[in-house]
Amino acid sequence: MSKQIVNTESNAAESLMRVDGLKKHYPITEGVLRTEVGRVRAVDGVSFEVRAGETLGIVGESGCGKSTVAESVLRLTDPTAGSVYFDGEDVTAYDDTALKRFRREAQMIFQNPDSSFDPRMTTGESVAEPLKIHGVGPRSRRLEIARDLLERVGMSGEDAARYPHELSGGQKQRVALARALVVNPRLIVADEPVSALDVSVQAEVLTLLNDIQAEFNLGVLFISHDMGVVREVCDRVAVMYLGEIVEMGRTEDVFNDPEHPYTRALLRSIPTVGVESRGTDAGLRGEVPPPSDPPTGCNFHTRCPEVIQPDGYDFEQAHWRGVMNLRVAVERHGVDVAGLRAFVGVEDDASVSPADADAMKAELRREHDIPETLTDPSAEATLEAALDDIVRGDVEDGRAVLAEEFETVCEGESPPLDEDGTGRPTACHRDGAAAPGGDD
Amino acid sequence: MAAEDADTATFEDIDWDAQGISTLGVSRAGLAELLSYLGLIAAFVYDYTWNTGPLVFRWDVLSVEWLFIGTLIAIVFHAVIPLSQKPRLRAFYWQRFKKNQVAVVALGWLAVMFVVGVLGPLLIDPPTTQFTNQSVPPVGMSTTVGGVVKTGTWQYPLGTSAKGQGILTLVVYGMRVSMEVGLIATIFSVIIGSAVGAVAAFATSVGRGRIDELLMRYVDVQSVFPDFMLLLLLTYLFGSELWMIILLFGFFSWEGIARTVRGEALQRASEEYITAAEASGANMLYIVRQHLIPNSANSIIISATVGIPGFILGEASLAFLGFSDPTTYSWGRTIATGQVNLASAWWIATIPGVFLFLTVLSFYYVGESLRDAMDPRQEVDGGGGL
Repeated sequence: MSKQIVNTESNAAESLMRVDGLKKHYPITEGVLRTEVGRVRAVDGVSFEVRAGETLGIVGESGCGKSTVAESVLRLTDPTAGSVYFDGEDVTAYDDTALKRFRREAQMIFQNPDSSFDPRMTTGESVAEPLKIHGVGPRSRRLEIARDLLERVGMSGEDAARYPHELSGGQKQRVALARALVVNPRLIVADEPVSALDVSVQAEVLTLLNDIQAEFNLGVLFISHDMGVVREVCDRVAVMYLGEIVEMGRTEDVFNDPEHPYTRALLRSIPTVGVESRGTDAGLRGEVPPPSDPPTGCNFHTRCPEVIQPDGYDFEQAHWRGVMNLRVAVERHGVDVAGLRAFVGVEDDASVSPADADAMKAELRREHDIPETLTDPSAEATLEAALDDIVRGDVEDGRAVLAEEFETVCEGESPPLDEDGTGRPTACHRDGAAAPGGDD
Repeated sequence: MAAEDADTATFEDIDWDAQGISTLGVSRAGLAELLSYLGLIAAFVYDYTWNTGPLVFRWDVLSVEWLFIGTLIAIVFHAVIPLSQKPRLRAFYWQRFKKNQVAVVALGWLAVMFVVGVLGPLLIDPPTTQFTNQSVPPVGMSTTVGGVVKTGTWQYPLGTSAKGQGILTLVVYGMRVSMEVGLIATIFSVIIGSAVGAVAAFATSVGRGRIDELLMRYVDVQSVFPDFMLLLLLTYLFGSELWMIILLFGFFSWEGIARTVRGEALQRASEEYITAAEASGANMLYIVRQHLIPNSANSIIISATVGIPGFILGEASLAFLGFSDPTTYSWGRTIATGQVNLASAWWIATIPGVFLFLTVLSFYYVGESLRDAMDPRQEVDGGGGL
């Protein structure tokens, strides 16, 4: 894989696996009749391809659906919609026999080395298990093959007689690699294969994965939350946020010139040794919205530091983000007016004095990172009007004022994953448009 | 890497095109086991329909003994062979088991009971009623029974019953009955219980919770069913044959095992090695057999060993109440017949009673120590107490 074989992009490397519009929704049901009251959109329309000899990384925060992608492409869970093509055949339409053949050619490596081995089986038996499942025999031949393979992944033949609890985490991941390799697959799906290991061991396992991939020309789907690891091993990378891919491209390009604000935020999260960049955080505020209730428009607009400003106003970007924080709070989970009143010490049924109202507004601004006054006077007037509504208890009026006046394209329209801009698929309204801000 | 000797098998050597794809796989051990059962059934059918005399030499195999042979086959394939193939596991368990010395003695006692119980009745003639030797005391003792002074002789080392049957012979035949009752009933409850529990758990883990719901609610219903009453009714209606009593015990006592296995397997089913096996192409049957049940084996074995004495005592109680098979020489029946003579001939009821007591106690001790050996989480300080 890796950088010595620069065969990415546009050359004729065959597509090993192609995923097309993959969706996996989990219904939320209620009551005895299990009526569906909602859906968790774990994966919501994802397309990519993995070529032979190439590593595609899928990177994203916890809960963005990357592990569900791994399970769906191997049909460990049946996708809600979309297709997975392996060698041009639709995996989702396979019958039992074809599925079993496919599961020989595509193997998986798991995150947790402690639970991915049967504690009652020796390493040799575990490595030989896929052979047993696929009817290779006899037992002595299987074990011989397993021993040979264990040696080739850097263990010794005697380790075949040891039990998983006698091995270290790194050794277990080597064994896991051997188990995946034993049926001579063409695709390996690695779901966070090194995130449970410490850094020095990570490097060993990743090097081994690299070597093996080069030797056998494997396609690897590498799933990780760790941008540093992804940069090391992947030829191409797809960044996922809330069940959707927001940016995809060659690793160097994505890392050197990230186009999506979320990618930029993730890159800022890589720890660095430089003094000047120390202490800067990723700049992301708030939590990932629940996939059962994704935001309208661009999924990322509730947290995006570069969210597009409304026409006719001139904010500083950080201030605009603050106003958006307030808008997101009002839209998605409401504002706790009773809590505010209690905070400034107003009795339940008493009317709010002007001084109390000011204190409440100041607290709202502080809470959502809005400065005391916005630089744009007309924006300040609108915001002040909305805040007045909110502290009076008319949260709905405030919401309407904000929504009407501060309407942004990010919440209205979902940006397509297109190749505007630098010609790399990116799902952002800023991509392709004249890049404003430019604060990175 | 890849230093390949010509004579070492490597994974690249496998010719996958020549390798057939079968979604139904049976291992060789599984096949051998299946053939053993089929052979047993064939022999039973032959014996039942065509054969009139004893099947093997002098041994006319009785209905319950067919079941017992089946049970022994199951024990060989699921306990003896796996343990013999894994010397390290065996050494590990033995190391832990022998920490409890009482349990080692108990295991020895059970081994003697098992061997004598299985082989004894083949070598010793069944007890016969002899009115010349009624109520003879054990060797070296003299008592007066019915005005006649009787002295024990080596002909009947443990004395004789009121019908003149040798107590030693009765005890040996009783061992067979106790082993049959304990082991057959346990095997049946283990098979049904672990299958139901594992399937229920696996169904839940693959999103078919309704199967789980259905199975476990049935388990609930059965566990509140008064099966002792059913037992009395059935033995009253159809006669009290030993095989029927044993099967009733087996079929009405697997709820606990089903619950334990389900809980254990549910925990296991979320482990990644299950997904790994599934991702490698294993089907549900393979996963249940190769991963879920072996990894729940500790709880299964523990509940089984604790269940055995219950079955033995249950059969003895039934026999004591008079609901026993008149053709079998169960300890419970000997005790029941002996208790009327307790004042004049104490040995008739007491000696089988002591054997019953020691055997049941041994099963408890062995079960307890097995639990400590196999499941360190439950180990109590000092371990091994009842």
